[in-house]
Amino acid sequence: MIEPSLALYGEAFERVGHLLDELLQTTHARYTLLVDRKGFVLAHKEALWAPRPPSLDSIATLIAGNAAATSALAKLLGESQFNELVHQGENVGLYVEGVSTYALMVVIFDGSAPLGRIKLFVKKTIGEVAHILEQEANAPKPDLKLDGDFSSSASALLDDLFG
Amino acid sequence: MSTINFAAREINCKIVYYGPGMSGKTTNLKFIFGKVPENLRGDMVSLATEDERTLFFDFLPLDLGTVQGFKTRFHLYTVPGQVFYNASRKLILRGVDGIVFVADSAPNRLRANAESMRNLRENLKEYNLSLDDVPLVIQINKRDLPDALPVEMILQVIDPQGRFPYFESVADKGTGVFESLKAASKRVLEKLSQPK
Repeated sequence: MIEPSLALYGEAFERVGHLLDELLQTTHARYTLLVDRKGFVLAHKEALWAPRPPSLDSIATLIAGNAAATSALAKLLGESQFNELVHQGENVGLYVEGVSTYALMVVIFDGSAPLGRIKLFVKKTIGEVAHILEQEANAPKPDLKLDGDFSSSASALLDDLFG
Repeated sequence: MSTINFAAREINCKIVYYGPGMSGKTTNLKFIFGKVPENLRGDMVSLATEDERTLFFDFLPLDLGTVQGFKTRFHLYTVPGQVFYNASRKLILRGVDGIVFVADSAPNRLRANAESMRNLRENLKEYNLSLDDVPLVIQINKRDLPDALPVEMILQVIDPQGRFPYFESVADKGTGVFESLKAASKRVLEKLSQPK
C-alpha cells in the first residue's frame, strides 16, 4: 500500500457529511469536499444556493495533484508539507487544508464568504474530521467478500465495455 | 491499494500510463476518451504545454459498471515522459493500482524505453514497491512506423525475463489501446479479489 487508504462509510460517512454541511452554513461557502491524497472524493456537499459545481472528479484530481506538488516543494524547503493552500481569483477562491495524513479538506467560495471566517471554521471542522478519520483508520475493516465470482463478473463487464 | 468506498459502494482504482517521452501515453487516453460512451466517462483533464506535451498529467475517470453491487471506477492517468519531469512523474505514481507501460517502436527510442523502465523501477522503490507488486502490462506502440524495431528486440530491453503480458499497438488508430487497458484492468481487479 503506497498511501494510507481510507474508506468512509456508514456512520462515519454520515458524520463527516454533517460536518461539511455545517461548514457550508457557517462560512457561506459554495462547496466543500473531503478528498484523499490520491485524488478520490471521500465526501462532498454543495450549498443549495450555489450553481452546479464543475466535475468533482476533475477538482479532486487537480487538488490532490497540486497538494502533492506543493508538498514536494515544501520538502525542498525543509518542511514536511504545507498545511494550507489558498488560491484567490477575482470572483472565486479555493481553500485547501490537510486533514492528518489521510485527506484534504477543500472549500470553494465566492465573494460572499470572507476568507478569515473560512479559515477559522475549517480549522475547527478539521479537528473533528481528523478525529473521525483516525477512528476509521483504526477500526476493523468490514469483510469484503470479493471472491472468484467477483473476478469473473468483473471480466465480463470489461468484455462488454471494451469488446 | 484501491480505495473502496462502502457508503457509495464504489471501488476506485488508479491506472497509470508510464513510458518515455512521446511514446503515445496521452494518445491512448485521448482515444479511450473518444470511444467510450459519454455516460461512462467523466471529463478528461490535461495539463500540457502549448505544444501538447504533457506537463504534469492527463486524467480520465471511467465507469465500468457494477460488479457484485460495487460500482467500479477507474481513474486513468498519464505521466509526463520527458526525463527532466521526474519529480512530477513520481507524484502521479502515488497510490497506483496498475500500470500500462507504453514503449516506443522507433529505433532511436530503444534506449529511452530502457531508461524509462529503469526510472519506473526506481520511482516505485521510493514507495517501497517493486514491479512484482503492481500489475503491469506492456504496450509496444507505433507498430506502423516503417522502421519499427522487432517486438522481441524491444521486449529484450524492457522485460528481458518476459514477465509481463504485452500488446502491439498503433495508438492514434486505436489498435491495441483497449486490449492493453482491458488486460491491465483485469489484472487489477483480479488482485482485488485475491486474499491479502
